Parts: sequence; structure tokens; C-alpha cells
Amino acid sequence: MKLQRDVFLDEINKQLEIDKDIYVMSADFGAAALDYTREKFKDNFIHCGISEQAMFDIATGLALEEKKVLTYAMGPFISLRALEQIKCGPAMMSLPMTILSVGIGLGYADAGPTHYATEDYACLRAVGGTTIYTASDNNIAIEIAKNTFKDKSLNYVRLDRHPTDEVNFKPNQYDFNDGFRIFGDCSENKFAIISHGRILKNCLKSLKQLENNFFLVDLFRSKPISKNLINLLKNVKKIIVVDEQTQYGNLTTAVQSELSNNNLFPQVKNLSLPDEYIFQNGGRDFLLQKYNLDEDSILNFCKKIL
Amino acid sequence: MNISNDLKKTCNRYRKELFEKFLEVGQGHPGSVFSMTEIAVTLFHKSFIRFDELKNSFKDKIIVSKGHATVSLYPILRDFGVIKNQEWENWGKKGKDSILRVFGNTSIPGIDATSGSLGHGLGIGCGMAYLYKKKNLDKKVYVIISEGELYEGSTWEALLFASHHKLTNLTVVIDENSLIILGKTDDCLKLDPILKKIQGFDFDVSQVNGHDLNELENAFNKKTEGTNIVLAKTVKGKGFSIMENKAHWHYWNSLNPEEIEICRKEIGQ
Repeated sequence: MKLQRDVFLDEINKQLEIDKDIYVMSADFGAAALDYTREKFKDNFIHCGISEQAMFDIATGLALEEKKVLTYAMGPFISLRALEQIKCGPAMMSLPMTILSVGIGLGYADAGPTHYATEDYACLRAVGGTTIYTASDNNIAIEIAKNTFKDKSLNYVRLDRHPTDEVNFKPNQYDFNDGFRIFGDCSENKFAIISHGRILKNCLKSLKQLENNFFLVDLFRSKPISKNLINLLKNVKKIIVVDEQTQYGNLTTAVQSELSNNNLFPQVKNLSLPDEYIFQNGGRDFLLQKYNLDEDSILNFCKKIL
Repeated sequence: MNISNDLKKTCNRYRKELFEKFLEVGQGHPGSVFSMTEIAVTLFHKSFIRFDELKNSFKDKIIVSKGHATVSLYPILRDFGVIKNQEWENWGKKGKDSILRVFGNTSIPGIDATSGSLGHGLGIGCGMAYLYKKKNLDKKVYVIISEGELYEGSTWEALLFASHHKLTNLTVVIDENSLIILGKTDDCLKLDPILKKIQGFDFDVSQVNGHDLNELENAFNKKTEGTNIVLAKTVKGKGFSIMENKAHWHYWNSLNPEEIEICRKEIGQ
């Protein structure tokens, strides 16, 4: 199975065939599809060295000249290392740009917390004017890539490091502009599980076993959150938000904030990583189990709140 | 356009106008603004930054990476007619609105990049210069950085980029007034030998008196095989004895009437 980064960059490569205003920049982070970009579109690829900060300043210079820039690096480094460059460059000058961040959450287990992007969402969400996408499977990664230069905004795109299972969702069953997909029956008085990214698949088991009571939302665009989703959540019993991020500033806070802005105050439960840096080995799935973010833990949590 | 051939007089006029404006606005960074007056005047008035009268805009780019000194461009841009005189007049006057700010931003005509946080401008300039070079466009980029920006890692990252891509259409002026907010760079955290460090990138570096218009002009005219680096030795607060070489004049300080009179006399009012 192809990686999310490859299907995303394959789509960008297709666009590069006809649009020479696209520039792909890497801070020494690779992908099979990027090898093709480097070979086929030499004039549109810039290696910035292992210099995330300069990459964003240089990207800003290109964007000021109305080029469509995609910056690419590993999640923890492209987000936090260059946060001020993102703020002072594309964000402050309202320049369109795509920030492609790979390896979110504990994707780089067992490399340890230097390589985990467990607070990137909170940081980029706080930057003014960002639009944030998180791909749960390749289909949605491709859709994000197709749209990323169309909306002329500062897009922070979060992809998983590992192959992700397709969630068997046909493109015509949702509106990309809404930024979410629904699994299950979302009629009134149900419980809603909201998630994004690879961890969404860990929620599917709960849905399968408790589908009379639950529906699942793949919130692939979590900033801004669609009004249509808020309307949908008006009549739910409770909401569980599952996120492979630390608690403060994660998807739960984003959902709560948007609900509150709309004078809605349902009970929202947070399932996420602890407020600490994780050094323990054992692999990603082991760590998710330890922190109650595996399929069974999420299912048990859902059963408890029924 | 209000352009004089006597650039020394022009520099003096700008210092006078900016001093009065600082008095009105009551804030800003006069030390850094006055240290780069000759640099800015040479770039604009000697047409290194080429003006297109038909488009009423500049063909070349200037990025004042030391964003706290962007104010030094405002009277120049006004003289070229890029900033409306009314905007300049209104700035700092109670009850009047103006687009001008203590730190420049891209909503102000003639300001090519928003700056204020140090260490960003050189990378932005590199991005522009890279593009112009690749597209064979007859456009140049001038970036003015403070020596204080040499403390920022991103500046060195950008220098690597400029060196690797031999950005001959990029000129970097390092305004070296030897002072940062808390004192002398030599005392706070030594930057020297700046020249050797920059030469280590294989750049062609000119060392000039940053207040000597001829030296600056010669340095900007220099044909180089890579990026042109101009190490301009300057005096913080140049032109005003109260401010010259005084670290605390990084920021505007209130002046009593006698001090204001001294300043005005020194610049010939």
C-alpha cells in the first residue's frame, strides 16, 4: 500500500505537469514520489538543507512573487522548529502556502519525543489564518492535495508516516468543502465520536459494535470547523473526541471551542495522550494501548458512557 | 518626485524630518533608523533600486530585515511618490489616521516584506532572488540586516542558500553599529570576526564606512561572482550626539526642551 505522502505528492506531481508556478521545497525529507519530483521537475524543486526556518523564509520570498509553494518535512520539525517563521511569513502576510507535515502523533515510535508531533496541531491551530487538514486515509490525502492550491490559504496538512487503511468511503458521499465525513447513522440523540488521522481507524471498532448508539466523524479539516458539523452536533447526547495529541490545544479543545462559540455546551470527553514526553519503547500501537487509545480501550470507554 | 543631487543634504533632510516625526509619534527606534540613513539614500537615490515612473513602483526589491528601522524608508518612498504625502503628514498626529507604522508591513506601498522579528528578511530575499535568477528576470534584491541578526541561526541558514545558488542578483548590507539593546556586541556575545565568518562562505565582502556615500556606491556597483555582501560600519543614532553610540537609543527616549534644541541645532535647524 502506498504511503499518504506518496499519494499526496503524486497528485502534486500531476499538477506540476501543467502548472510551473508550483514549487516544492524540502528540508531534507524524502519520499518515493518526491524522488520523481526532483528528477522530473528539477526547476521546481528546492532543497533547503536541514534548515526548516530558512525554508519558510525562502518560501515566503517565493510566495510574495505569487508562486504556489509546498514546504515539506517531518512533522515535529516543520511545525515547532519553524513556528515563528510560519507566523511572520505566510501567516502575517496572508500568503497561500501548503505545509506538508509527515509523521504526526507517535508516528515515529520508537524514535522518542524529539520525533513525535504530539503538539503540532495546537501550535499550528494557534497561528492566525491557518487551515488544518489531517488525512485518515489515502483517499482523503489525495482530495486534500487536489484542493490545496485552489483555496489560496495557508494550509497545514498532516499526514501519517505509516500506511493507513482505506475507510471505504466514496468521494461522492461527502462534500469536501464541509471538511468532514460521517460514518454511521447520525440521527438525533446519538453519541458522536470525532477523530482524524490514522487513529480514526481505532474508533471504527466502537462504531461497529455500538452503531445503534454512535456515529463517527472523520474531521479531516479541523480548522475551520464547518457550521454544518456544528448543526449536526446540536442534538447529540455526548461527544467523544479521540486525538493522537497531548491534551492542551488538541482536537477536543477545537471542537469544544467551536461548540461554545455557537452557544452549544454538550458534554465532550477527551481521549488523547498525556501531558508528558514519552520515552518508552514498544512501538506505536503498544503506546496507544498504554494510553487507552487502542481499539479496545476506545470501545470500553464508549460502553461506559452509554 | 523630490530628488536632490546633493545626497549629503538629502540625508540631513531625512534625519531632520525623521527626528521631528519621532517627537510626534513618541516611539520607534531612532538609533537603528539613523544608522542606515546613508545606506537607504544611496540605494534609492543612486538608482540601485530602480524606479518605474509609469508604474509608480520600484523594479527592484528592498527588504529591511531589521524591521525596527523600516521607518527610514518612509520619507524616501514619500519623495518618490510611492507613499502619499498625506500618510506621512498624518502619521503621529492625534486624531489622524495613517497607514504608516513603527514596523513596516506589506500594506504600506513600497514595503516589500513585513518585518519586525529579526532573522527573516535574508531568507525572504533569497527566495525572491532565486526566483529571478531561475527565470532570468532583470530584477535585483537588496536586503538590509543588522549585525544583531547574525545572532539568529536563520540568517546563517539563508547565507548558505545564497552562497550555494550564487545569487548574484542579491546584495546584503550588514549594518554594523556594534550595539544591541543591552550593550556592545563585543561585551554581550562576541560576533567578531564577522568579516572572516562571512568570507568563509566564499562571498565577496566589501567593508565600508556606512555613512560614506561614495564608499557605499562603489560597494553596490561592485561586480561579484556571487552574492554581494556589504559590511557597513555605522554609528548608532548617527547625527545626534545625544544618541550616537548609545545602546539605550535603540528605542526612542523622551527629551526635554533643551535636548530637543541641541538635536535640532546639530542637524542644522
